[in-house]
Amino acid sequence: MSVLQKIKRIDGFKIITSPAVMFVFLLFAWMLIVYFYNALPAFVREGLATYFKNVWQATEEASKEHYGLLAAIWGTVYTSIIAILVALPLSIAYSVFVIDYAPKKIKNALIVLSDVMAGLPTIIYGIWGVFVLVPLLQKYVMFPLHKHLSFIPIFSSPPITGYSYFSAGILLGIMVTPFASAIMREAYQMIPFTYREAAIASGMTRYEATKTLLGYIKPAIFSGMILAFGRAVGETVAVSLVIGNTFNLSIGLFSPGYTISSLIANQFGNAFIYEHMLPALYAAGLALFIIGLAVNIAGLYLFRKWEKNVRI
Amino acid sequence: MSGYRIRKGKEIAFFLAIAILTLITILPLFHIIATVFINGLPSVAEKGFTFLTGTLSEGGIGPAIIGTFVLMFLSSLIGLPIALLVGIYAYEYPDSLIGKWTKTLLQIMLEFPTILVGVFVMNIIAIPMGSYSAFAGAFALAIILMPYVAVYTHEAMRQIPFTYREASFGLGLTRIKVIFRLLVPLSKRGVLTGVLIGMAKVAGETAPLLFTAGGLYQSYSIGIFKPVGAIPLLIYTLVQSPSKVDHATAWGASLVLLLIFLLVFIPVRMSLKEVKL
Repeated sequence: MSVLQKIKRIDGFKIITSPAVMFVFLLFAWMLIVYFYNALPAFVREGLATYFKNVWQATEEASKEHYGLLAAIWGTVYTSIIAILVALPLSIAYSVFVIDYAPKKIKNALIVLSDVMAGLPTIIYGIWGVFVLVPLLQKYVMFPLHKHLSFIPIFSSPPITGYSYFSAGILLGIMVTPFASAIMREAYQMIPFTYREAAIASGMTRYEATKTLLGYIKPAIFSGMILAFGRAVGETVAVSLVIGNTFNLSIGLFSPGYTISSLIANQFGNAFIYEHMLPALYAAGLALFIIGLAVNIAGLYLFRKWEKNVRI
Repeated sequence: MSGYRIRKGKEIAFFLAIAILTLITILPLFHIIATVFINGLPSVAEKGFTFLTGTLSEGGIGPAIIGTFVLMFLSSLIGLPIALLVGIYAYEYPDSLIGKWTKTLLQIMLEFPTILVGVFVMNIIAIPMGSYSAFAGAFALAIILMPYVAVYTHEAMRQIPFTYREASFGLGLTRIKVIFRLLVPLSKRGVLTGVLIGMAKVAGETAPLLFTAGGLYQSYSIGIFKPVGAIPLLIYTLVQSPSKVDHATAWGASLVLLLIFLLVFIPVRMSLKEVKL
C-alpha cells in the first residue's frame, strides 16, 4: 500500500482543510506576537506609564523622547461612548419600527438601506464627515451649546475648528447604528410570537406590548451595544479625518483629540525617523488589539448566552 | 375612560418618536449619496473620460481604479481558497472544540480593527521586502476578506437538508467526495454571495492599505511587487491636502467608489434575505 493510499484512508477531508484552519489561527496568534514583541522596548523604557501618561515628545535626541498613550486611549473610549449613546436610541427605534410598525414593502426597503449603510466604505463617511457633517455640527450644535451652556464642563471648550471628540463620536454613532440595529432586529425577531399575542390579548396597547417585549431582549440590546462599541473603537480613517489629531486630555466635547487608531494612522509614517517612537505605536496597537478582542468576546459571549436561553 | 385616552396618547407619541428616530437613522445615507453626487458629478464631468483614465497630474484617477481592481483580484486569489476551506471545516465539525473556536475566531476577525491588520502586514511583508507592494496590500485585504467568505460558506452549507448528507454517505462516498463534489456545489449560490459581499467590503477598505500598498497615482506601472494605488487610499490622501482642486478630485473619486460599491452590493443584497456585515 502506497503512502498516498494510506493518507486517503486516514481522512482526506481533514488533511485538506486542517492546514487552512491552522493557518488562520497561526496568523491571528502571529499578529498578537508581532504587536507584543515590537511593543516591548516601550514597556522596558517607560514601564506601564506608556499607557498612563499623556506626553508625546518626539525629538532628535533619543534620550529626550517620551511617549505616553493616555490621550489616545481616552479619545478612543470617549468617542466610542458618544457613538453608542447616539446609536442606542436610534437602533432601538429603528428595530422596533422595522419589525412592528412598517408595512411589508417599506420594511424590506429599510432593511436593505441599513445594510447598505453598514457596508458603505468608511472613507465615504470620512469625506462626508469632513466637508458636510463637521461644519454643520459646528454651526448649529457646537456654537449654540458653547455659547449658552459653557458653564457645564463638557461644553466649556470652544469649538474652534469643529474637529473634536463630539464630531468623531457623532460620525461613529451614525456608522455603527445600522450594525447595532441588525443585532437587535435579529433578537427582536426571535421573541416567540405567542408572547406578543399574549401581550395584546391582555389588553395592552401596542406601545405597552413593545415596551414589555423590549424588556425581554434587554441582554441582546446590551450585547449589541458592546459589539457596536467594538466597531467604533476600531474605526480608523473616518475618525482620523474629523477628530483633529491633537494630544489632548480633555472632558470638553468640543476639543480636538486623538484615538488609538488615528494615532497609528497619523504617526506611523514618520515614526521610523525617531528612535523610540515605533515601540510606543506598537504598544498603542497592542492596547487596541486587547480592547478590541475583549469587547468582541464579551459581546459575542453575552449574545450567545441570551440566544441559548431563548431557544429552549 | 381618561386612563384609556392617556394610554392611547402615549401610543401615538411613541409611534411618532420611533418614526422620527428611524428617519434620522437613514437620513445620513441619503444625504451622503446626494452630496457625493452633487460634489462628484461636476468634477467627473469637467474632466470627462480623462477622469477615469488619466493619471493624477492629468486630473484623473485611472491608476487608482486599476489599483483597486488589482487589489480586489489579488486578495481574492489569496483569501478565497483558505476562507472556503475554513468555512467548510466549521460546517463539518460544528461541535468539536476546534470547530467552535474557528467559528468564534471568524466572528472576532469580522469585527477586528482593520488598521491593526495593516500594521501587521507591513511588519511581516513590506518591511522585510523593503518596499510597499501590491502583494502586501492584497495580503492585508485577504485577511479582511477571509472571515466574510468563511462565514457565508458556513451559513450556506448549513442550509442544505441533512438528508443529502445521509444519502451520499449511504452510497458509500468518502467524506471528501461528499463535501467537495456534492455539498459545496449545492451551496455555490450562498458561497458566491459571501465572495461578492467580501469583495465589496474590501474595495472600500482604507486602513489596511495605509502602510502596505504605498499608493501609485502618476503612472500605470503595474506589478505584484510594486507599490499600487487604490481609490479609498487616494481619497484619504486628497482630503487631507489643503488644495481645493484635490478636494474636487476626492469627491469625484468618492463617486466612482460609491458606484462600484453599490453596483456590487445592491444586486447581491436584493437576492438574499439576510446579510452579515
